[in-house]
Amino acid sequence: MSESMNISPPKLPLKFLKWFCNPDMVEDVEGDISELFSKRLKQNKLKARLFFTLDVLLLFRPGMIRKFEPINKIINYAMVRNYIKIAQRNAVRYKGFTLLNLLGLVIGIAASTLILLWINDEVRMDKFHTKGDKIYQLFRNMRQSGGIVNTTFTVPKPAADMLRNEYPEVTQTTQVSWPVTFRFSLEENGSDEVGRYVTPEFLDMFSFPLIAGDKASVLADLSSIVVSETVARKFFGKDWREETIGKTLRLDGTRDAKITGIFEDIGDNSSLRFDFLLPAQEFYSRNDWVDDWGNGSFGVYFTVDNEIAAKTVAERVLNEIKVHAAGQDNAGDEELVIHKYQDYYLYSNWDNGVINGGRIDYVNIMSVVAVFILIVACINFMNLATARSGRRSKEIGLRKVMGAHKKSISIQFYVEAFLLTSIAVVLAIGIVIVLLPYFNILVEKSLFLDFTLLQTWVYFFGIIIVVTVLSGSYPALLLPTFNIIQSLKGTVKQSSGAAYFRKGLVVFQFAISTLLIIGTSVVYKQINYILTKDLGLDKENLVAVSMEGDLGRRLDTYKTELMNIPEVKAVTGSSGNPLNYGRSTSSANWEGKSPDAGYEINIMLTDYDFIQTMGMDMKLGRDFSNELADSTNFIINEAAAELMGFDDPLQKDLSFWGIDGNIIGVVKDFHMADMYEPIAPLIITCISPGSSSVAFVRIQGSPNSALKSIEKVTKEFNPAFDFDYQFVDESFAETYRAERTLSTLAGIFAVISILISCLGLFGLSAFTAERRSLEIGVRKVHGASVPQILVLLSKDYSKLMLIAFILAIPFGYYFTQKWLDDFEFRTALDPFVFLIAGILTFLIGVLTVSAKSYQAATVNPTDSLKDE
Amino acid sequence: MGKYSIGEFEEVVLLTVAILFENAYGISIKEEIEKRLSRKVSVGAMRTALNRLEKKGFLISEFGEATAVRGGKRKRFFKVTPYGKDALEQVMETRKQLWDAIPSIAFDFKFA
Repeated sequence: MSESMNISPPKLPLKFLKWFCNPDMVEDVEGDISELFSKRLKQNKLKARLFFTLDVLLLFRPGMIRKFEPINKIINYAMVRNYIKIAQRNAVRYKGFTLLNLLGLVIGIAASTLILLWINDEVRMDKFHTKGDKIYQLFRNMRQSGGIVNTTFTVPKPAADMLRNEYPEVTQTTQVSWPVTFRFSLEENGSDEVGRYVTPEFLDMFSFPLIAGDKASVLADLSSIVVSETVARKFFGKDWREETIGKTLRLDGTRDAKITGIFEDIGDNSSLRFDFLLPAQEFYSRNDWVDDWGNGSFGVYFTVDNEIAAKTVAERVLNEIKVHAAGQDNAGDEELVIHKYQDYYLYSNWDNGVINGGRIDYVNIMSVVAVFILIVACINFMNLATARSGRRSKEIGLRKVMGAHKKSISIQFYVEAFLLTSIAVVLAIGIVIVLLPYFNILVEKSLFLDFTLLQTWVYFFGIIIVVTVLSGSYPALLLPTFNIIQSLKGTVKQSSGAAYFRKGLVVFQFAISTLLIIGTSVVYKQINYILTKDLGLDKENLVAVSMEGDLGRRLDTYKTELMNIPEVKAVTGSSGNPLNYGRSTSSANWEGKSPDAGYEINIMLTDYDFIQTMGMDMKLGRDFSNELADSTNFIINEAAAELMGFDDPLQKDLSFWGIDGNIIGVVKDFHMADMYEPIAPLIITCISPGSSSVAFVRIQGSPNSALKSIEKVTKEFNPAFDFDYQFVDESFAETYRAERTLSTLAGIFAVISILISCLGLFGLSAFTAERRSLEIGVRKVHGASVPQILVLLSKDYSKLMLIAFILAIPFGYYFTQKWLDDFEFRTALDPFVFLIAGILTFLIGVLTVSAKSYQAATVNPTDSLKDE
Repeated sequence: MGKYSIGEFEEVVLLTVAILFENAYGISIKEEIEKRLSRKVSVGAMRTALNRLEKKGFLISEFGEATAVRGGKRKRFFKVTPYGKDALEQVMETRKQLWDAIPSIAFDFKFA
């Protein structure tokens, strides 16, 4: 008997029974099955255990299972009121801690909300079209012999016609041009507007609503034009609704267009932007080159009914250009691919002919940052709450003595977390509303908190619940486990596990902060690298003036007049900005070129002064010269020289567009596209300076007075047009706007993350200092100096910072390297960056700890010891 | 069955409680049923039946003294109430009436 008595029934089933069984019955039922168990033990130990488990499982039935509703609603209500009151008293009593806690949460929630607003806006871009999920765009992959694929949205017009007429799957097709600028004039009023040529189906396919006019017919007539509400208001004042339709605008002073419709202004949620629409047919009727399979023209959009149809079209359209352009001398190795229109805003990076990310990368990065910041803020809450639990131990002990369940104590801590989180969310909403205008300027959006949307409410309540659970769970699960007697004595020793967990959380916080600092530094360094890189030309003090109308043909006299301005050093005309150039041909031919190879080579039309004005360097040969009649001589860049494979390119024959000539020089490579792209081959010719569309003016001295004089001269030549200019270095910097915004945002959020982490650390070190005040007092009495005590108190946390830093390095390396890999030209990952980030975080962390520790170390020991 | 609703298993349990008289608690009831009816009874089935009977007012229960054999848990002893006795009598009465109503020829299987 005594032997079997010692063996107790299996624990787990018993625990389960105690959990589910109706409390009225649990005692005798447990007794019954224990008795059975001990009886069975005499026969077989294993069997007894098995039967015991089986008994418990068979007891799990209706009639035995207790009710799982709140035990008693009236008591619960009273208790919750008590929890709220106690939470309130605690919050007021320890103002400092409450403030730290709240501040961390508020900053974290506000920052995450701002980021999520931005993400939400990015994701919703172009999603408003009713046929949105059916619209696809056609792209053209131009395969170079070097293995590189360039992708463009310009597609030969015959391909669009084919889609429209011969593809049964395609339900609608439209062509949309690149943005075009026209000078609109009506009587004496005039303004420059940017719009697009489109085919009539455009307004039906895309959901740009018309205020006036019928979308089926507004673009039917070749001389028609549809304008935006803004343009209508500009020309027709407050009566624009009645006045606009039927009026005639003069375009560029050369032809008339009759207004047949008005469309609502394009919202910020559209990536297709325009202020007027002209019939594409009008453009086609003036340009027969569009009918050639070898020339890319307007962008092509089409709709299909479903994904399967899209796939069929994609397979069939792939080789249409190769088939139809075969045998033509400008036929390139080209393929047509399709891409869903509404995804294009986020996925628009072509990498060798296939989509590889795009803005979605930034959206992903920011999502991760938002989640991280929220977690960092929650960790603060957890750490402060558990660290301070010693103060609450008596309360917990007393509650337990009075019969509180563990469960009701966890509920209490959840209620506290919930209260604090709710207050934090309300404050965060206030902060977001105040900060949004500034944030909008930063990210160039018009974001706002829309409280009429259910989504917004769901988000904020979601945040409250998530943060409550994240930050309340640890204290709510840990604190109720305290031993009653110890907690009443006030000598609760937290298990080393809890301390390790807390330290782990601090490490996590600082690792994230370090990671963000590393990311910010690398992005900043890359942008700095781009902006200061030697581009192969001198972009400072260079003004680009666009030459409207027929000014190009009067280039010589225009240049002479400009040169008379004292601040002007040099002037040149060119067919485009050399830093952002894309006008290419596949018809170039040179000595030794293999007849089958297709190469897309850029052609730049300039005048004799181009190389010199731009400040480019010649690598070989000579610059164009006025005296030597160089109109059929060409200069190529290094990339072209390499592509053509000459040992000595000078005096080699080269032809394109039917022009034969010789190479007289090789210019050092300059950047013709952004740093994501390699430098493309280029031929520079001065055969037709009259084709120039931009004049580049090298200025010296005061840019303001130079600009004024240039404007005066330009206005004299072209009175009908606005003076349109750009500083080349500024427009270059503008190209990297997304990257610069990312760098600013990453910087701000890195600061926020480290700020929140420091708030938590400050609280923790305050807690440590307080707990060890007696020890400090004793040490001081025995002659310890303030610095010694500082070191003593900071040592633990310094170790954590170090671990955080070591953890952050591999992740930082991986993510930043991945981001940099997208760039063709990039700065090297410098270990120095990591070191600086680490030292910075370390210093900030240690300073935070020391600030509090110093206070503790300078306390007069008599004060801390007198209570003992 | 009139005003008393009682199932077959419940009836067995109730009768067993009456048989055991002052020693009717979980295990003894279980064993008694198993012995007399030679069928297996699980603690769960029996305990829910007892529970139902108590709720219907056929049984009352009280805790006994704690014993070491049961891990210090007290036994719950059951006792049949007068109301329970009425129910049992009524069931028996009903059965009897039914038996009496069977024509004697019905069980005459000679010609079957």
